[in-house]
Amino acid sequence: MNMVLNIGYLYPDLLNLYGDNGNVEILAYRARKYEMDVTFTNIDLTGAVASADLAKVTLLFMGGGPDSSQRAIYQDLIKNKAGFLQDYILAGKTGLYICGAYQMLGKYYKDAVGSILNGVGVFDLYTEHFGKSKPRCIGNTSATLNTMIFQDPVFPKTPLGNQIVGFENHGGRTFLGESAVPLAKISKGHGNNSKDGTEGIVYKNSFGTYFHGPFLSKNPHVADYLIFKATGSTGDTIKKLPVLDDSLIYVAHTASQKLKQ
Amino acid sequence: MRLFLIKTLAKVTQGLINLFSLGTGYTWPGHLVLKLFPNVLAVPSLLPAHGVVLVSGTNGKTTTSKLITHVLRKQGFTTISNESGSNLAAGIVSALCLNNKSDYGVFEVDEFVLPYVLKYVAPAYLVLLNLSRDQLDRYGETDTILDRWKDALARFFGSTTLVLDATQPKLSDLPQVFKGVSLFFNDDTTLLEHTLLKGDFNAKNLNAALLVLTGLGVPEEAAIKALSDFSAAWGRGETLEKNGTRFRILLTKNPTSFNNNLSVIAGDENLRGSSLLFILNDNIPDGRDVSWIYDIDTKLLAAPVEGRSVYVSGTRAFDMAVRLNYAGITVPRDNVIPNLNSILEKMYGQSISAKVSTSTAAAEVVVLPNYSAMLELREKLIGRKIL
Repeated sequence: MNMVLNIGYLYPDLLNLYGDNGNVEILAYRARKYEMDVTFTNIDLTGAVASADLAKVTLLFMGGGPDSSQRAIYQDLIKNKAGFLQDYILAGKTGLYICGAYQMLGKYYKDAVGSILNGVGVFDLYTEHFGKSKPRCIGNTSATLNTMIFQDPVFPKTPLGNQIVGFENHGGRTFLGESAVPLAKISKGHGNNSKDGTEGIVYKNSFGTYFHGPFLSKNPHVADYLIFKATGSTGDTIKKLPVLDDSLIYVAHTASQKLKQ
Repeated sequence: MRLFLIKTLAKVTQGLINLFSLGTGYTWPGHLVLKLFPNVLAVPSLLPAHGVVLVSGTNGKTTTSKLITHVLRKQGFTTISNESGSNLAAGIVSALCLNNKSDYGVFEVDEFVLPYVLKYVAPAYLVLLNLSRDQLDRYGETDTILDRWKDALARFFGSTTLVLDATQPKLSDLPQVFKGVSLFFNDDTTLLEHTLLKGDFNAKNLNAALLVLTGLGVPEEAAIKALSDFSAAWGRGETLEKNGTRFRILLTKNPTSFNNNLSVIAGDENLRGSSLLFILNDNIPDGRDVSWIYDIDTKLLAAPVEGRSVYVSGTRAFDMAVRLNYAGITVPRDNVIPNLNSILEKMYGQSISAKVSTSTAAAEVVVLPNYSAMLELREKLIGRKIL
């Protein structure tokens, strides 16, 4: 029997800023190549989602969105989805949370005039927008993944090693709490706050990042890591999977390393 | 007196640029004039006698402006436009300063710059075509642009008629904030049959142009007749030939224009068997963030590729090749070449051998470039710079 990957996509219509949905397509594409059965559960604004559907989700994705969409989903997120998200993340189930989603899972967001918007509170971090006193963080990025992830036996060994590349575009700056572990160490770009060199967060099997848009497109090792984690794959099962030809992606990744910030 | 000074300054600047062969430098005189006379657009005698038409929106600006200009000229009017697509303030100022006074001015205006232009110029017609996601790193979110438009229109006075796409829900609030008259066009495709243009998006451009033209007093029948020989604006469906290879260029600068053009290719019998060349750059005018290529409809992307050779070039060629890969299209590694000259050399060669084997006419390549890539390609095929 084939392994099953059920991708839960939070607010697919509203939180899809600049190619974010590419990540879902990429995960599905790769999982199908690995001969897994891929199903989708879209979780949107319209009312409560059947808990049976939510229980099926093995890989949760939530992207960024324009400010207006983030305002539109905020009440629903805090009122109807926060409980599910906390349970899901605390239970160690797999998820990828990008930009606005990453911020909203933290403790709070302090905007440019100092008002506080509470987050889901499952990640030990807060985000602050410094208004016009600090420029937006925009540009090409690269970073080195946390050793904890890289040394996980399930993490794919590829020519890309522990490197990740992407593009960031965020106004808020995120500060990790004492207990939080960064996803990566930034080598090009601003990362969490352009100060402490951290980028993103890893908490149990949840991953938050400012690398926006189609983050997984040039980071196939991270895409596979998410798929393997979500399906509970082990070294033995992974060995039996078909080998994908990622040579072109490796060239694209290497070319991205050379881009100016 | 002041106008004379400004125009002389602009013309001297252009003269110097030409003298020292500093490129075409079309926008330089405008930059300089704006630096010295920031309010230059408020000088009434600088503006054309019968009035100005401004066209803005994410997609269709160049084609719609060209349609209006084409008909006005055929009606015997003189017009000024920023035809080379220099649609920021400096490009418009350059056009006004470097040309003799004309009957009409028809300008395409960058979405972001529009509020600034509206501070000084009260156009007879203001055409707002659409707003979709484009260059997030440069423009911000579309909501930000829409807010800037609303702000500008709310403060705006003058005898301007607003021309809007009735099928764009995003734009539906604008007539409420605007104090003047609003007219609406739709996506009716009847006019397409009278022209050489293709694609439903061009039907909208035609309808918008016709609304402006009849408003300016051109009889509808005469306008439609004048449109029948309109050839596409450069890079928007134009065809250029070099070394026995015919390149049909379809500008694809954001997800909407990409999806539109992919539908045109898939549906056009005449393009069957042509090769496909994608060119993706990340220069400043394109936006440096190419994430948007994942907003292209995957099914539309896969459809035209079947049975065609695919080539990929541009500063972000590998990103585009990976995007195609995730749409299920495997591009041979040898067909991915960032350098445009190198890939063109390769394609000329291949098309010539194809020609010998089938002994048909010139081999056809459909090119999907984004903005700076389109300019670069035209330069290579025509042999001179246009901007």
